[in-house]
Amino acid sequence: MKIVIIGASAAGISAAKTIKASEPDTEVVIIAKEDRVHSRCMLHKFLGHQRDAQGISFIADDFFESSGISWLNNTTVIGLDAQNKTVKTHDNQDISYDKLLIASGASYFIPPIPGLRESKNVYGFRDLKDAQLLDRECNTAKDAVVIGAGLVGMDAAVALLERGLKVTVIEMTAAVMSLQLDQKSADAYQQLFEEHGAAFILADKVVSVDVDAVGRGRTIHLASGKAVAADLIVIAAGVRPAFNFTEGSGIATNHAILVGDDLKTNIDDIYAAGDVTGMAGIWPNAMKQGRIAAINMLGEKLLYQDRYALKNTINFFGLTTLSLGNINPQPEEKCQILIREDRNNYQKLVIKNGVVEGVIFQGNIGGSGFWQYLIKNKIDLSAKNKDLFSLSYADFYDQDPATGEYRYAV
Amino acid sequence: MKRIIIDREKCDGCLNCNIACISAHQEGSNFYTVDLQDPDAQARNFIKYDPQKGYLPLFCRHCDQAECVLSCISGALEKDPLTGHVQYDENKCAACYMCVMNCPYGVLKPDNKSRTKLIKCDFCDDKPDDPSCVKACPKKAIAVKEVSL
Ligand code: SF4
Ligand code: SF4
Repeated sequence: MKIVIIGASAAGISAAKTIKASEPDTEVVIIAKEDRVHSRCMLHKFLGHQRDAQGISFIADDFFESSGISWLNNTTVIGLDAQNKTVKTHDNQDISYDKLLIASGASYFIPPIPGLRESKNVYGFRDLKDAQLLDRECNTAKDAVVIGAGLVGMDAAVALLERGLKVTVIEMTAAVMSLQLDQKSADAYQQLFEEHGAAFILADKVVSVDVDAVGRGRTIHLASGKAVAADLIVIAAGVRPAFNFTEGSGIATNHAILVGDDLKTNIDDIYAAGDVTGMAGIWPNAMKQGRIAAINMLGEKLLYQDRYALKNTINFFGLTTLSLGNINPQPEEKCQILIREDRNNYQKLVIKNGVVEGVIFQGNIGGSGFWQYLIKNKIDLSAKNKDLFSLSYADFYDQDPATGEYRYAV
Repeated sequence: MKRIIIDREKCDGCLNCNIACISAHQEGSNFYTVDLQDPDAQARNFIKYDPQKGYLPLFCRHCDQAECVLSCISGALEKDPLTGHVQYDENKCAACYMCVMNCPYGVLKPDNKSRTKLIKCDFCDDKPDDPSCVKACPKKAIAVKEVSL
């Protein structure tokens, strides 16, 4: 059997690994538009010059050779013929498959703001190519503007600060990383970034960009009337699943490739995993989807049930935060909020009817992994009769006597 | 593969396993010279006490389908194909702590001092015979067993 995988990020690589681990004789071909495999979550380390391109790889150096996987890099898929079971590449190869995994990810999105799309010095911060282009700009640029203070924008900002640029971050909402943090935990990061030289303009919007004679965006105008000078602009205003090449193939889409719980599309033998499905959320979920899609492609049956994606960890300047679930409940949700803090820690639990719905731990996050289980499985803690902050996995411990694997006693 | 099997009834909460773990990861120290005030003195195991059920020592399970490995963004966490143990490569780690969030048993933690590394059980695979915690337990509340998955 021959399995073709489009995309070499978390989902694609984890699928390839899974296939080769259980059926080494299956032929696996990975097609990727990138030059080399790299972890998107480490791009800031590349741009900040803490690591080179090799240093942000998440696979072993000899991964493709040792696992016998064919690797077509710098190759863009431009078409898919589901009838004849082939994909077409930009250089006119028709590559046949028995089973296909689409793990082509997502691409960044430039909002239709006058002057912004036209500017030649606007970059996303999505893959190594973006980081390489930014790297070049950093050699001469002085003023950097980052649009969007989500995790990607903050990653870019931290790297640009590292390179000695003057960084201004512009954000529509009133706080940084507002999907992951509440006001208090966001303020802590904002302050740290400011101490390292960044400036923030929050609750404001870009309305236009002045483009100079050579096509570079120079002045960014905001709804408030403020204007910010820019030598380079990073756009971090969200991503869109990338699946242009499926047009006309009959694959069902709705702003993303639609898949069932088995990660199969509406067409037999074609599966999708990762950001292209619009449900990955974060790296670990994409890895898991890749693995599950692979197992299903090999003819076994495994369902993707761990869809819980409202989760993240943050580590900037050594300040670590765990964020899970519903962390900013609306008053009408009538949640109970417990706060515990000292000079190094801020901890918040959001509880409704005995079930924890959200957690923010800022500072010490050691040993906090079990909270995800409690939240996603909606475990009722009212009977525990315990200070909830003191909970640990020990309160739910059970051991399989035969294998010693842990289980949850709930 | 080899696993540390826990018999909580036998545990007295003496913390010998804890100190043995710290010492095993503090170059050149032994049970008597180990510097517990060093900010790097973090154990990879922990003991919890419950008024009803008593003490419970907990260790990384080196899970069959390890969530930490599956969540690692850098390839720093990998399952060793020979031992089955989940090993950590500090040089690859990006200190994102996705793994801390995804270990369902809450055994992973960032290092206290720099928040640039992970504190993770290595089963003392670089040392001869059993893990240091198991050797240090006076009650035999923890024992290494060969398990098949
Ligand atoms: S760190 Fe957690 S998830 Fe990883 S092997 Fe150990 S117990 Fe399992
Ligand atoms: S903190 Fe290190 S080991 Fe843990 S997931 Fe991130 S890169 Fe992997």
